[in-house]
Amino acid sequence: MTASVTPARPRALTFGNVWISLALIAVMAVYPLLFGKSMNFGVSTLIFAGLAMSWNLLGGWAGQTSLGHAALLGIGAYTMTILATPERVPAFLGGPLAPWWGALIGMALAALLALVWGSLTFRLRGSYFTLSTIAVALVIRLVAINSDWTGGSEGLFMPELPRFLGLDLFDRQAEYWLAFAFVILTLIITHAVRRSRLGYALQAVREDEDGARALGIDPTRMKVIAFVISAVLTALGGSLYAIYLQAFEPHTLLELPISVQIALMAIIGGRGSIQGPAIGAILLAVFGEVFRTVFANANLLIYGVLILAVTLYAPDGITGLFTRGGRKLGTAR
Amino acid sequence: MTLPSLTPLTSEPVHAPSGPPLLEASGITVRFGGVTAVKNISLAVRPGEILGLIGPNGAGKTTLFNALTGFVRASEGRVTFDGRDITHAQPQVRAKMGMARTFQVERPFEDLSVLENVLVAAFLKHRGRAAENHAYDVLERVGLADRAAQPASQLNLARRRRLELAKALALEPRVLFLDESIAGLNPPGQQEMVALIRTLAQSGLGIVMVEHIMHVIMSLSDHVICMAFGELLAEGDPHDVAAHPDVIRAYLGDDHD
Repeated sequence: MTASVTPARPRALTFGNVWISLALIAVMAVYPLLFGKSMNFGVSTLIFAGLAMSWNLLGGWAGQTSLGHAALLGIGAYTMTILATPERVPAFLGGPLAPWWGALIGMALAALLALVWGSLTFRLRGSYFTLSTIAVALVIRLVAINSDWTGGSEGLFMPELPRFLGLDLFDRQAEYWLAFAFVILTLIITHAVRRSRLGYALQAVREDEDGARALGIDPTRMKVIAFVISAVLTALGGSLYAIYLQAFEPHTLLELPISVQIALMAIIGGRGSIQGPAIGAILLAVFGEVFRTVFANANLLIYGVLILAVTLYAPDGITGLFTRGGRKLGTAR
Repeated sequence: MTLPSLTPLTSEPVHAPSGPPLLEASGITVRFGGVTAVKNISLAVRPGEILGLIGPNGAGKTTLFNALTGFVRASEGRVTFDGRDITHAQPQVRAKMGMARTFQVERPFEDLSVLENVLVAAFLKHRGRAAENHAYDVLERVGLADRAAQPASQLNLARRRRLELAKALALEPRVLFLDESIAGLNPPGQQEMVALIRTLAQSGLGIVMVEHIMHVIMSLSDHVICMAFGELLAEGDPHDVAAHPDVIRAYLGDDHD
């Protein structure tokens, strides 16, 4: 083998398949033009697409299944709303905060919670982390239901909000583009992780913790980092969701089904692919809408049927069906 | 070609290493409940030295190995690396300091390609493209470059062994721990691996190897430690250890059994 005919070195460091992401972005961009009348559906679908993407940084890349992401969603929603409401904002702040500051504070709180929570529970292996996520979410739900400053079991109403970059935050069109930006942010971060040292360390930890430790990787630290990123993004999604809902109560926002829904969207879409969770969220939302009109209340049934179908026939999710050989994140091109 | 050419198993140790020891362990004892798996073992490895650990099955070689690399906690004793006490350091900390190991049952990250497997290790000392290039260079050194894009799960045993070695080497260690890297390979594979290990030692790497195959250990090691039932049986020059009556008895059994 002489130097002049050295074959092209295979590359490992890539951003993954950017084209699928661009196609996804294109679909999201034309949606308002085609379905301008169903903006409610569009906004909530995109928010959940972003949430599923955020969940996957922990659930897919780090392989740590969380069933408590509703708590992080709730932290984002409650923090922003409380800080924006004149009669609820703590006196020392001297008045309500603009929603973007509230969202940032919510993200910081979620990061802090994930840091403490992850540091404590990632020392355990196996399903203990998953159990802990259910427990923490339960505690946060109970606090929200039983405290005055959270509005108790009645929840919160969104107050008047200032305009954000000239956008009326209660305009569905504006909300759609904010949710659109949220999904793009989660896509960009996932692509960046795919190419990074963190991404490879997470995949190594997911497959074999001792093997990763032998290569100088601290598994707990890597999982905590993934959890913090996931939590920050989920809290941001929570703030958006609160604006979209305008009024929310702990019984809907903080319940286990929300956590399960986020996780299922990612798992059904394919936690092994970069865009899988967003695709899963969109497909589930579309199916949900179709089935709701056809079968009324039986739409919950489709979740059950889909989980069964996916676990039986497509363990790597819907996107896993289309990637030859490339079953997991590392090889997903 | 990047593969070291096949060399016959000469029976001379590589060379006489000198200088202060890089890794030192004194009085290592590992107990699991009431069982003492390793009892009061001491050793030292200098740069460029190959230390062979031998002994029958269940002698405690792998446990000692795990205690040295941090995967098992030593109940007693002290391990120092480059003068620093690392007795209680986590494996990942030891890896960062310059200790790399392979596993007896090779464990590639099956979902990653061969190159990506090594890249995970290369990230310890390099970033971005530099890490990728370093990973590829290491693959060339162990003769796996032509398999770089293949999924690690598709490699055969001999290539998995080399991938294990590549991952360890990508950490740019100063001491390398090889846990049965040669056993199970066919004779040409064994020769390639032996030649590779010899080259590594000549480049100044301290090597601790656990091995079953006597003639491999005898031909490679500068110093041999033979264990049985967790205890030191004999130690010293390979040929002296091989000729030691206790060692022969441990491997072949007593006359009056």
